Formats: sequence, C-alpha cells, structure tokens
Amino acid sequence: MRRTSLVLTLVALLVISLAGTTMAAKKGGTLIFGRGGDSVGLDPANVTDGESFKVTRQIYDTLVQFKRENTEVIPGLAHSWDVSEDGKVWTFYLREGIKFHDGTPFNAEAVKFNFERWMYEDHPYHIGGDFAYWGYMFGGYPGIVDHVEAVDEYTFRVYLKEPLGPFLNNLAMPCFGIASPTAIKKYGEDFFKNPVGTSAFIFEEWVRDDKIVLRANHDYWGEGPYLDKLIFRSIPDNSARFIELQAGTIDIADGLNPDDVEFIKRDPNLKLYLRPSMNVGYLAMNQMKEPFDNVLVRRAINHAINKEAIVEAFYAGLAQPAKNPLPPSVWGYNDNIEPYEYNPAKAKELLKEAGYPNGFTADLWAMPVPRPYMPDGRKIAEAIQADLAVIGIKTNIVSFDWGTYLQKTEAGEHDMALLGWTGDNGDPDNFLYVLLDKDNAKVGSAGNIAFYKSDELHELLIKAQQSSDKEERTKLYMKAQEIIHQDAPWVPIAHSTPPIGAKAYIKDYIPHPTSAEKLNQVWLDK
Amino acid sequence: MALAEIATDVKAVTKEKKGVGPWRSALRRFLRNKSALAGLILIAFFVGAAVFAPYIAPYDPLIPDLKNRLAPPSAAHLLGTDYMGRDILSRIIYGARISLRVGLITVSIALVVGTLMGMLAGYYGRIWDTIIMRFTDIMLAFPSTLLAIAIMAILGPKLINAMIAIGVVQIPQFARIVRSSVLSVKEFEYVDAARALGLKNGPIIFKHLLPNSLAPIIVQATLSVATAIIETAGLSFLGLGAQPPTPEWGAMLADSRAYLRIAPWTVAFPGLAILIATMGMNLIGDGLRDALDPRMKE
Repeated sequence: MRRTSLVLTLVALLVISLAGTTMAAKKGGTLIFGRGGDSVGLDPANVTDGESFKVTRQIYDTLVQFKRENTEVIPGLAHSWDVSEDGKVWTFYLREGIKFHDGTPFNAEAVKFNFERWMYEDHPYHIGGDFAYWGYMFGGYPGIVDHVEAVDEYTFRVYLKEPLGPFLNNLAMPCFGIASPTAIKKYGEDFFKNPVGTSAFIFEEWVRDDKIVLRANHDYWGEGPYLDKLIFRSIPDNSARFIELQAGTIDIADGLNPDDVEFIKRDPNLKLYLRPSMNVGYLAMNQMKEPFDNVLVRRAINHAINKEAIVEAFYAGLAQPAKNPLPPSVWGYNDNIEPYEYNPAKAKELLKEAGYPNGFTADLWAMPVPRPYMPDGRKIAEAIQADLAVIGIKTNIVSFDWGTYLQKTEAGEHDMALLGWTGDNGDPDNFLYVLLDKDNAKVGSAGNIAFYKSDELHELLIKAQQSSDKEERTKLYMKAQEIIHQDAPWVPIAHSTPPIGAKAYIKDYIPHPTSAEKLNQVWLDK
Repeated sequence: MALAEIATDVKAVTKEKKGVGPWRSALRRFLRNKSALAGLILIAFFVGAAVFAPYIAPYDPLIPDLKNRLAPPSAAHLLGTDYMGRDILSRIIYGARISLRVGLITVSIALVVGTLMGMLAGYYGRIWDTIIMRFTDIMLAFPSTLLAIAIMAILGPKLINAMIAIGVVQIPQFARIVRSSVLSVKEFEYVDAARALGLKNGPIIFKHLLPNSLAPIIVQATLSVATAIIETAGLSFLGLGAQPPTPEWGAMLADSRAYLRIAPWTVAFPGLAILIATMGMNLIGDGLRDALDPRMKE
C-alpha cells in the first residue's frame, strides 16, 4: 500500500517535471538557498553531513549518478559501464573532453588518483579527514576493493575482492565526487575549503557560518546551468529563515518549522515542496557506557518514549513514527516488526528487572540545528526528557555546535544522542550496515554511534552485501531488522517528509530523496 | 581595652543625638514617592509568587501535555500553554523563584567582592588603589554581556554558572562606588578620632566606613538585581543559562520564539514577566536613590 502510493508520487513528480520542461528555461539570475547549518567541509570524501553534500553535489560529479527524482542509477562522468560474470570487476567508460574547473583534464588517471586517495591509508593525499564514508560503504581501507586500474585514457576499472550488491549505487553518492588531482595536491590539508570538481558550479567564496558562493560553469558537460550564481546561506533559526523566505532575501528554505507549513500553503508567492521520505531520526544509546550496555534498559527506554505524540507535535504530522531503522520507502523494509508500544508501566518494570528500580541520571544529546529527519532536536529532546523522567531516568540535555556534535558522537562521548540519517543511495545496506554494523562502531569515525556490536547481524549484513540477488538480499535484511529490534540499540523515532519552501518563480526544482539535489536544471521565471 | 570602651561610648552618644535619623527620614521620603511604591508593589507581587509558587501555580511547570500544546489563553490556562503543552502561568510563577534567586545570588557575589575591593582601594590607597582600579577598568572595558559569555565559555552552560558570571561582571561597579564613598568618608573627623583613639584598620573599616557608605551600595544593589535578571535571561536566551526544562523566563522566551507567529502568547508573557520584574526593581532603585540622597533632606 505504502509502496504503491510512493510509486504514484514518483509518477506524479515525473509528470510535473516533464510538464515543467515544456516551458523554455530562462538563463541568468542568482538563487539563494537558505539552510539551517553551514557545511562542515567541501571535500566530499571527508564529510558525512547533508549540509556539506548539498554544496559538494553542485561542484563535483560522480562516475554514475541518480535520476533527479529517485535513486535509480544513470550515467554520470562514465557514459557506460559493465561488470564481469563473477561481479568482481567493474569497467567504466568515461566521457571525453571534460575538464576540471582548474583546467586539469578529466580522465581515467584522475579517477584512479581519487580512488587511491580514498582507499589507501598510506596514500600521500589520504589527508584532511578520516574518509569515513569510504569505510562505511566499503568496509575499511581499502576494504572490499582490491585495486583499481586506469586501463587507457578513458577506461577505468575497479577490482573487488568480493561482489558487492550496492556497488553502483554507492558510487553515485555525493561523497564519491571526483575531485581535481591538481587541486588536491596543491591545497593538501586545505582542500576542504578550496574545492575543485567538474560539475555545473564553480566554487567562489566561503564565509564561515554565513554563506558559500558558487558561480556557473559554462563549460559544464550536462544540461545547464541556468543560474549565474548559486549561494548557500546558513540561517540557524528556523523562523528567521522562513521570514527571510517570505521577505524574499532567500529563494529556497529547507528545514522549516513544520508549524510554518500552513503559512506557505496560504501564500501565493510561495510553493511548498515535500522531499520524498528516505530518512530516519533516532535516539542512539551508547553501549560503551553503563547502563546502556544492558538490553533491558534499552528496551525500557523504547517503551517509555511516546513517538506518536512527538511526531504529532514536532513534525506537524509530516512524518510517521518509526519502528525500524530502515524507512518504508527503501526496499527490504520489514513491516512485520511489532513496535515497542508506549507503556511507561512496562518500561518501569524492565528498569527494575535490569537493576535500576529508581532509574539513573544520564546525558541526552540533542543536535543544535534543524535536520530533515528532525526539525527541532532540542524540543524533541525535551519531550524525551519528560517521558524518561516518568520512569525515573533523569536527563541533562547537552548540545554543541554541529561540527563538534558530529565529531563527539562519532567518538562516543555521549550517553544517549539524537541523530538521524538520510539515505544516500536507496539501498538498505546504506542504512543498516552504515549505522548499525560493528565495522562502523569505530571510535572516532563511527557511523554506528550506538556502538552496537552484534556478530550475528554482521554476518547477515556482509552476506547481503556480497549478493546481487535482490530477493535473497531482501530476506537477509528482513532478518537483520528482527535482530536489531530485539537488541534495541536505538529508539527509532520517525521517518519524515521534510517540507521545503520556495518562491513561486523557482522552476524545475525537484527535491531528491537523498537530500542533495543537483541544481543545474533549476531556473528563475522572473 | 579602655580606649576601645571610650570609642564605643563616643558612638553611643552620636547615635542618641540623631533624633529623627537619616534612615527614617529616607524611609519617609521613599514612601511618599509614588513610582517607588509602585515598584515595591510589583516586586512584592513577584516575591509572593516565588515564595508561594507550589500553592498558587495551577499546574506542574515541568509536565508536558503534547495534546494541548500552543493552546491560547483560556479559563483552563490563563496565559495559554507553550510548545510542550505546559501551562505558561505556572511556568512564570516558578520562573519568579529562579529570577529572584538569580538576583540575590549574583548581587551577593558582586556586593561582597566589590565592596571588599572598593574598601581596600579607597582606604589603603596607593598601590592597592592602582591595582584594583586598573583591574576594574579592564573589566569595565568589556561589554558586560560579552564578558559574561566569555566566563560562561570557561565554566560551561549551567544556571549557577550564569549567576557566577553575571555576579563577576558586576563586581567593578560596586568596587568603584564603594571606593569613591570611602574616599570621602575617610576624610571625616570621626574617622580621625577613631584612629586617634587607637582603633585598628579593621574596626574602622567595618564599624565606621562601611555603615556610612551604605546608601549608594543599597541603591546599586537594587539596580543590579534588575540587571542581573535581564542578563541571566539574556544568557539563557543564548542557551548558556538555564537548561531545559527549567522554567527560566529568558529560556522560555528563547524556546518559544519559533512560535512567535502562530502562538504569540508563548513569547509575550515571559517577556512581560521580565519587563515587569526589572521595571519594579528599577523603580525601587530610583526611589531609594532619591530617598537616600542627603541633599534631598527636608
């Protein structure tokens, strides 16, 4: 049922986009995109947050890319590709005649340089960060990739140790944007603030916590860009950002207060977009710390939190309460899981059984910026605080600036932390392996900030990774969700449909479920 | 021993001679000042709310009721409910406790430390004066909120730390006021007399200089309570002071500002509470200043 409605939405979006393209796109103008937080860095291989990818998507291309409206893979910098019988050797045929923004020619050697920089920890340019995403997606350094090869000027080959089901989808992710080798060598550690790619927009200026300015790349190989300039402004306060949208000082605003959606609907100068849901907002309980290593405590907390009330109050209904880490829009979702019902009495009992009849005190971390999966982390934390107080768990709400927050949670400094995830490639592996496998519970670069380590789950996830039979993979992921439900490393809170407000003159803007859409086709009708 | 007895005798004599003392006439002047009285009533109101909070607050200020969130003022919730469905009136009443405590603690810190520093500087002069006064100059050179934020950055975001930070920030004002009044008081003959009678520095400072410098200190303390309430609200607004779910007025204001357009009462009432409390303190402070000014004597 949910699946069909999703398909319908996608079809509708497609029709709308086709209808949109019948109007001739106008060139020129500046688009200002208002968002809740600044990018952490602009070296896509070294960041994990959506605010960074929103910008790097405009600067870098990937070998393959997603369709504008879903996670189907289409050609990118590679115009075609093939894979060997055993699924271990992937050959990519690259587009010819493309240049990086700094004039460096794009070819197989450049791609090889990027891959080797990501995968080898002893590569001289494996610097500027911890290359977390490579580890998340490929299981280490070099992980599942054996080696890569530039066969000739425009043919590039990847040799895998084992077949990898989501391999192609992984490569379409913004974190695997191909950067100019010249620029990487020139800037070294500072590459993150001097990004150079091949895509529709060229980096111009970055004023920390204020704005990032990009200008059009007139030699772009794909369609567009129609805009002369693209500016990303950070406006942390949700209402302030919305007021700026109404006043016309920004053209698009995401991370809206769900309560403001009504105002957009009523305003003829504004248009409401709903980003297709492919995310999860959750509360992770750090198993490296007592008492969260006790499964009874974790289940008690699951029973104590009233998700329905939270979704109703803080998402304005633009979300559904979560019971799995995987959102229902991703295949492999296990709808048979019976969620932990809201039941404080039962929660208290479980706490008692766990040896904490009088509860305990813990820190509850809340992110400082609005996220698509959680429009206001601090307020949701307050609601959770009140729910937990009922069963005797006293919590202090703790917050840091966004970059620090991510760093500290990746290092496991928290007791309980709110966080979330927007899918990067529409594959269940991108949720379950990245967020809950023991491989990714590495202190310092953890994607699994519950530091949940289950060998049983690990086995399933690796098996699913190495298969390319979707039916078999679905079965494995179904089972994986059962294990996760039993072990309760998180309280899954919600899958949201993030609202975005835009001026009515913005044309051909299609929010991507991954949260990072290319804006090369967007134009202004004014 | 004998000398000390004589000294106390001298003091007793001066006291008897006073008749209608300066304090009583000041009180009379204060009560005749209408705006000061109004301030007194406002503050009495808040102190009453703070003291009797558990008896007069209609709801628990901490327990949310998400089904009832952002409800406009009604008979059930006189001032409406906030984004968590908590009763705003109850939160403001409990908030009065916090603001009152904030006012008292910060001013105590500033008063005690500032007065000691001012006494030292004014009475001993020379190197003491130079060191202490240059130190206060440096502190005064920073905008007070900025200085408080810097101190908070070291101490960490907690309400008690906010009180310490604001208390510290207010020290220089007390130090300067005390110093200047000590400078004038110590030239009086009775101080010379006390010294001639063999009194040590300690008793001179605490028995003669301090009581006679009290008027400006009282005025400053009253005004400082108002500043302290506002500054704490400011720090809480910035997320540095009271942490959720504490019903601190500034924090209430900050957390509700996202709802300014759809539920203005969630912002208006905590804002009004801050306004009225600080206005009350300021009116009292102004009234005291007029009342204690010796030039205003009948």
